[in-house]
Order: sequence, then C-alpha cells, then structure tokens
Amino acid sequence: MTTGISRSVPRVDAYDKAAGITRYIADIPVAGVCYGKLVRTSISRGTILDIDVPELPEGFWFISEGDIPEGGRNRIHMIKEDWPVFTNSEVRFYGQTIGILVGPDREQLIALADAVRVTYREQEAAFTIEEGLACRGGALHGDDNLFADYCLVKGDPESAFSRAHRVIEDVIETGFQEHVYMEPQGITVEEQDGKIVIHASCQCPFYIRKAVAPSLNRSLDDIIVRQAVTGGGFGGKEHFPDIIASAAAVAVTKVHRPVQVIFDREEDMCYSTKRHPSQVIFKTALDSENRIIGMDIDARINAGAYESCSPVVLQRLIFSSNSVYDIPNVQLRGRAVATSTIPSDAFRGFGAPQGIIAAELHMSHIAREIGMDEVELKRSLMVSKGSRTITNGTIHETVKLHEMWQRIAEVSGWHEKKSRYAPGSGRGMGAAFYLHGGGFTGSGEQDIIKARVRMVKRDDGIVEILLSNVEMGQGLQTTFRKIAAQVLDCDYRDILLADPDTDRVPDSGPTVASRSIMIVGRLVQLAAEQLKHKLHEPGAQESEAAYTQPPGCHWDQETLQGDAYPAYGWGICVIETAVDPDTCEVETLGVWTIHEIGKAIDEAIVHGQVTGGVIQALGYGSLEKLELKDGKFFQHTMADYIIPTTLDFPGVYSELVENPYPYGPFGAKGLGELVFDGAAASYAMAVQHAVDRTVSRIPVTPEYIMELKTHG
Amino acid sequence: MTDSYYPKSLSEALELRRETGAIPFAGGTDLMVRFRAQAGTLPKLPHPVLFLGHLEELRQISMDSSGTHIGASALLSDIGVSEHVHPMLSETVMLMASPPLRNLATLAGNIGNASPAGDAVCSLIALDASVVLASLSGERTLLLEEFITGPGKTVMKSDEFIREIVVPADQPDRYWYRKVGTRKANALSKLSLSAMATVHEHRVQDFRAAFGAVGPVVIRRRDLEAQVRGMTLDQLSRETEGIVDAYRPHIIPIDDQRSQAVYRLQASLNLLRRWIDLLMQGG
Ligand SMILES: Cc1cc2nc3c(=O)[nH]c(=O)nc-3n(C[C@H](O)[C@H](O)[C@H](O)COP(=O)(O)OP(=O)(O)OC[C@H]3O[C@@H](n4cnc5c(N)ncnc54)[C@H](O)[C@@H]3O)c2cc1C
Repeated sequence: MTTGISRSVPRVDAYDKAAGITRYIADIPVAGVCYGKLVRTSISRGTILDIDVPELPEGFWFISEGDIPEGGRNRIHMIKEDWPVFTNSEVRFYGQTIGILVGPDREQLIALADAVRVTYREQEAAFTIEEGLACRGGALHGDDNLFADYCLVKGDPESAFSRAHRVIEDVIETGFQEHVYMEPQGITVEEQDGKIVIHASCQCPFYIRKAVAPSLNRSLDDIIVRQAVTGGGFGGKEHFPDIIASAAAVAVTKVHRPVQVIFDREEDMCYSTKRHPSQVIFKTALDSENRIIGMDIDARINAGAYESCSPVVLQRLIFSSNSVYDIPNVQLRGRAVATSTIPSDAFRGFGAPQGIIAAELHMSHIAREIGMDEVELKRSLMVSKGSRTITNGTIHETVKLHEMWQRIAEVSGWHEKKSRYAPGSGRGMGAAFYLHGGGFTGSGEQDIIKARVRMVKRDDGIVEILLSNVEMGQGLQTTFRKIAAQVLDCDYRDILLADPDTDRVPDSGPTVASRSIMIVGRLVQLAAEQLKHKLHEPGAQESEAAYTQPPGCHWDQETLQGDAYPAYGWGICVIETAVDPDTCEVETLGVWTIHEIGKAIDEAIVHGQVTGGVIQALGYGSLEKLELKDGKFFQHTMADYIIPTTLDFPGVYSELVENPYPYGPFGAKGLGELVFDGAAASYAMAVQHAVDRTVSRIPVTPEYIMELKTHG
Repeated sequence: MTDSYYPKSLSEALELRRETGAIPFAGGTDLMVRFRAQAGTLPKLPHPVLFLGHLEELRQISMDSSGTHIGASALLSDIGVSEHVHPMLSETVMLMASPPLRNLATLAGNIGNASPAGDAVCSLIALDASVVLASLSGERTLLLEEFITGPGKTVMKSDEFIREIVVPADQPDRYWYRKVGTRKANALSKLSLSAMATVHEHRVQDFRAAFGAVGPVVIRRRDLEAQVRGMTLDQLSRETEGIVDAYRPHIIPIDDQRSQAVYRLQASLNLLRRWIDLLMQGG
C-alpha cells in the first residue's frame, strides 16, 4: 500500500467538474458585453491592398491596426516582439488577424465578418520544410528562412566518420498535431478602475500580461490577468491566448466595453497553433563490428510564419535527439524553418517527442539493418550516471532503465512474444525508451523565469498559497495543496489556492515544461517550511521562496553547452499490435508503461497523466493526420481530425519506480510531458515488427501501412 | 429562427408535410451537424422542419411473413437489440456512432441523408430492403437501391416521407459485415462491405456484396453477383481473382480528409477476396 504523500486523495476540483457545476469562461455572462469576431486573411502570403468593411450598425466596431493606442506596438511580445496584433499589409499565413469586429450580437457579427472584402496581391508561398529551406517565393524571414540554426558537436565525429565501415542513412518525419483541449480558446477583456482586466482560459497568466502591455502602451501593472477555469491546454494555451487577448484588449481601449472572444471547435482547429512537424535526417557510422561510432543529425522543424517559441522547441528537440543513448561522437545541425503556415507552437513534449521518435525509429532501423535485436542494441548504448549528454553535460542521477526494462519485459511478456511473432506475421511488439528533462531548457529557470512562490497565514489562521501556475485538468490544485499540507501537517483541503490573478500572486512562471511540481512545487515546499516556524505566531504571517539553480549544474546559453536539464524523468513503453491483413487496420492489444519520476505526489493523478499522455501520443502516432492543402488545414472538424476514443486503445498498464530527486518536492521530478514522449514511437515499432517494413513516419495510418506493404 | 412543426400523429405529420413542405427531422444527428453555426448562435436550417422522431407509430419494429418492418423513427439503439432484426443489420447499427448518438439516430435518417458512407444503407441494400414512402395520396414501396440516386439525392417527393423500412424475411444463410472506420467509435466509414451468401452442397446459390463509401452511392452489382451464383466452390476458388478483377472498375472511391482512394480500393478488394475465402472454408 502506498503511504505518505504519494497516497491518492480526492481531487479538489473533481466533483464540480464531473457534476457540471464548474463554470468555464463561456458559461459566465458578462453585463454589457460585446462579442469579438476575428477577421482573418484568406490567403497565405502576399500584401493587403484594401480592406472594405461594410457599414456597421450602431454599437458595432471594426478594430484594426489604426486603433492601437498611441505609442502601442503592433507586435505581440512572446519571447520577443513577434506576431503582429493586426496586419494591414504583409500577409504571412492563412488566417492571420486583420482586425476584430465587436458588437452585442453574434449573428450580426458573423454576417458582418462575412461581408468584409479584402483585396490582396498574392505571392508564392512555402508550406513544407523543403519549400521553406528553398525559400520558395523568396525568404519570409531574414535571407535564409531560418529562425534558428544550431550546431552541436560531441566527441570527434569527423574521425568517427573517417573510420566508418558503413554508414546507415535514415529520414524520420512527423506531422502537425492539434491539441483538441476539451474547452476551446476563450477570453473576456474589460476595463476596471482604469486597468485592463483579462479573464482567460490559459496556461500562463503572466505571459498574457507581458504580451498585451506593449501593444496598449501601458505598464505591466496596468494589465491584470485572471485565469478562468481552464478545460485543458496541452501547450495550446501557452502563447495562443496572447493573440486573442491582444486584439480584444485593443478593442476594449476603443469601445470601453467588455469584449469576449470564444472560439468554437472548428474555428479553434482552423486557426490555433499546432505541434511542429519535423524531419530528422540521420547518418550513422558503424565500425566493422557493427558498433555505432558516430552520428550525424540534421533536424528541421516547420516553424510557420512567425518565430514564437520555435527556437526553444528546436533546442528541446535536438537535446532529445540521442534520447537515452550515449552516442560517442555526434555532429548535429538543427534548423527552425519559416513557412507560410500558422506559426507552430508549444504542445506537450515541446520538441522532445519529435526528437525521441526520430531516435527510437532510427535505432530500430539500424537494428534491422545489422540483424540485431533492437532492444539489445539500445540497451548496449544506454546512458547511466555520469554519462555525457549531447550538449556535453552530465547525467547527474542514477539511471534505472535496466531494472525498469527487466520489470516491463516481464509484465508485457516481451521475450516470449517477441520470439513467437515472426517479423511480418501480423503481430508485433515495440518498445520505446525515453527521457524528459524537467523544467525550462538550459538556464531558462534561472535567467528568464526566476520563479517565486508566496505563502501567507492570514489573521484567521487560514493558509493560502500564492503562485501563478494553473489547474488545467492535470491536478495542480490538489498536488500543490498536498505538498504544503504535508509540510504544515494539516489537511490539504484546508489550504487555499485560488486560480491565479496577476495582481495578487507572484510570478512563479508559466504552466509548461513539466515544471510545475518539480520547480514550483519545490518552492511551495520551501515556502511552507519557512511558514511553519511562524504558524503559531499571532497575526498574519508570510513566507516566500525563490528559485535557485541546483548546485553542480552548468549551462552556457551562447554555445548550448552543459547541463540542458538538471534532472530527467525516465520511461519505457511497450506496445503489442495486430495488423489486419486485408485492411491494415491496427488493433492495439496491450500497452505497458513504467516511469521513473522521482516520487509521485499523488499516484492516481500520476496514473491519470500516464494514461492521458500515452493515449494522446498513440493518437499522434496512429490516427491524427493533419494535412495542409493550399495553406489551410484539410482536417478541421472532429469528424475528420481523428483523436482516439476509449475503444481505440486498451487500458494502459502503468507502474512507477522511485528515485527521489533531492531538489524536487519530496523527491518529485517532471511528469506531464514524459508520458507523451514514447508511445508513438513504440506503436510505430510494433507495426514495423508486425508487417516487417521500415516505418519512418508518423502517424502510422492504415493507408501508410498499405503503401508500405504494396511498395516495400 | 427555423420554423418547426411537432405533429401529434402520423396523419397530422402527412398533412403538415404536404402543406408546409417542411423537411423530416428524426434524431437530428445529421441535420444538426450539417447546419451547425458558430459559437453562441443557432443552427442555420434552410428549411422548416417536421419533427418525426417522437411519433410512436413510426417507432415500431415488428415482423410478419413478408419480413421485418422497421419504423422510420425507430432508434438505432432499439434496432441493435431487436430480435426481429437480421443480425447483419444489428451488427451494422451497433457499429454506428456511439451509445448517446444511437439513442437519437434513426434508420430513416441514415437513409434520408443518402450519404454513400451511410453504414446502415450499405447493409440494407445487401439485404434487399425496401422503403415505404407515405403521403396523403397513399404509399409506394421502392427498393432502397432505387430510392437513393446520388450523394444526398433521393427520389422522395416533397409531400412524402419514409414511413418504414422492410427487410425481407428470406435471406441468404451467411453474412459478413466489415466496417473500416476512421476509428472504433463515432467514426465515419472509410469503406465498408456488407456481404451475404448461401452455399449449398458445395455450390453458391446466392451471393451478394455491397460496398459503402467507395462511390457516389453504395455499390452493389447484381450482374456480377449473377455470374457467381451457381459456381461450385472449386470454381469459386479458381475464379477468385477474376471476380475481384470484375469488381475493380466499379469501385470508384475518392481522396478526402479521411482516407485515400488507392487505400479504399485496395482494402475493399482485399475484403471481397477474404469473403470468398471464408465461403470456401465454411463449405
Ligand atoms: C458523432 C457522429 C457519429 C456518427 N456515426 C455514424 C456512423 O458510424 N455511421 C453512419 O452511417 N452515420 C453516422 N453518423 C450520421 C448519423 O448519425 C446517421 O446518419 C443517423 O442514422 C441519422 O439519423 P437521424 O435520425 O439523426 O437523422 P436526421 O438528422 O434527423 O435526418 C437525416 C436526413 O434524413 C432525413 N429524414 C429523417 N427522417 C426521415 C424520414 N422519415 N423520411 C425521409 N427522410 C427522413 C432528414 O430530412 C435528413 O435529410 C454519425 C453522426 C455523428 C454526429
């Protein structure tokens, strides 16, 4: 039986959500509200020549670039100044915001939006990575279309390749992925006491503040962001709410009424950001005994039309591209390529899944080429404590992958099944190994985020946690309380933790990067420890904890050298499939996982994350095909963009291994993204075994399998 | 706002249909999706609607010597468990949508929608089902194959609607239904096969194959079926590739958001081949 903090407790938000009591932003009526409808470009690249807005009835406004308050910037501040709030000239992608129509009646707004006539001079556009690299239609960004171009070198790849007995080449590709959070994007902006108040379904309240303030030419404190109950995010509510909030906030400064923008599913699927498609080209050098001696990696991501967080996604991708393997000599180039598609953005895993899928499939292809068991090949190269990473940093922790493998091989019946299912027999087994660095990449936590958490004991003795990370379904409202309660030795339900309001809480950073428990939870623990000493003193008491980098971690952001992450979560996912000989439909017969996340703060929440993450990854790996046609997403309804239902995959077996991390709360490390990283690769390898064909892209649809079987 | 009519009886429904030309609305699971509007606004139904889903007279499932009579507004969830319904149709219906949808959706709706990917339509056509069309002027009965003429097109007149669907009692001995959907539930078909046959003393006495979602309408070739009828199992075995090739030009799928034509064609033919194999194995 699980004891201590890992033991599950009822989630504080569960009952109201399950019972339909919880109110999301679209459920909350706002007196005197104007609805907002974004008017968007209908071409992918070119110049706007004219915007013809129909005559507007009383109480309706069309807000565009000219309405940005004096001194305000027509640029949304993301990592740097980025997408324009409104475009009135340059068009870089289909669906770019031209303006926002606001008014009291939605039917009328839709009709008015349809009546806006925009004339363009259209230009040739690049949509794919190849087209972007070739600067089709002329460069969109700089003179080479590269938002980022990184190089890494580990060991002496040149000499390794000169010694190579043979070189195995490979190209692995992944596609777009849509988040499909249950609650589409939504925001309400209003004026209150001379300030701009933004209620948002979001992951990062302070990001919105930072994004909006420069456009309004107001100070950060003039913008207040209050998180609304958020029905899922998965990264899709990291930066995208900035886009809607900026446009709506400009409108509010003009019309002086609350403005609400709520997307429906189709609008959300058509115009919100997606996961970066990727293409990773490997050349791997083997010696005469088929040992891997060097690797050359060329990784490209489709960044879309503006930079947003693509360089950081690319960093995580390339830092994950050796996955859990210690490859002695590596040279790598990574490029974030500009194209005329909606800017790609954050999505659970943030580049790591693309890197890990590439690494896992490539390793399995090498094993196929040299006639070796793929798991044996992988295990012979696995990192351990003290191993050097691709950025010449060090693995500081004990790596338990070998013992985890023993365990998962046993529960999944790996050895018996692997020997029973001949390659091509229609039955297949896949095993993916993976890791995920917790927290921001490199020195981000220390240099950029600088998280702070405050805790107060009020006059009446009640303890409140003040921080900016949001509950979006992952359980933070419960786990943060549990951490504090464990320290303060009280009932977690007696601790207050409100949805963040930037006017009340310190900035503990965004709810991203699997950092909330590992980084912020640790600060909750530290703040609680401080407060504990003062708990019985009279009157209100307060404590605060600020982030400090764990000792022994070094990082140089200029050269991308050192410890990219202080600690990692580790995982293995085994999948068993059967492929229908006639239709190539795949039946997933079993999913077994084992994860090492330091310490579980709540086992039920962890298993919930495992199941959700694994099924989401299996959707990515098998069903979720998202194609571009003339710059638009071809699949944009729930009937065409196919995410899994409960019938599509069996239950997920989930086991945890403890390995407490000294700088996480009660030993906990990151979890939320780790559990997404491996299942797609495992699925692809299981199909590969079942049909005995080299699978080199996801999603592995029946159509793709049929193509492999027909053409080899 | 859309005008709507809520008749209390079948006869009132027929009158309203003639008077107003309002279109039948059963479960609404096609109509409400097709005419959905943006967030916070009402669906944009272009015609007035005539609610039929609630009429008890249209919800009956019964059997007599001529076959099974399925009321136009019988729910898929009821059809799926009715002892009067041919097992191929039950299986088909239980693979449609998901439980909440099946508690609303109807067979007449699937037929009225006239989509080539309508799953029930495919099996009903294989079962030689007919539709009974009612109007104030009387009733007429048409083979389902003749009722649907193209994607979204039927021969229904503006004062008619489907009163019931009749599935003949006399059916081949064996059947095989395969739906290849986009996923396992709430899935539209990429392709489907509803196949039936009777094999008696090593000879094929009846042979039927209906293909869904691989042409403008469900594809059933009675001419090709006639060529198979009468074959011995040995002949069937020798002729398998010939039969598959004969079907090939008639399977004319398209590329769309959900799948690709090459896949749909190949998988359809593979399933046909598998069905013939099954017949030879089953003797
Ligand atoms: C999530 C989801 C999943 C789905 N999955 C499937 C699936 O797996 N397979 C599948 O085939 N379909 C599927 N559908 C489509 C739909 O549910 C079916 O076609 C269903 O049978 C329609 O029935 P209904 O009663 O809801 O039709 P309605 O929407 O009420 O009507 C559909 C059409 O039929 C006409 N109609 C209705 N009643 C009559 C009548 N008595 N006489 C003449 N015309 C009539 C209407 O005028 C309309 O044109 C799905 C739909 C959704 C939303």
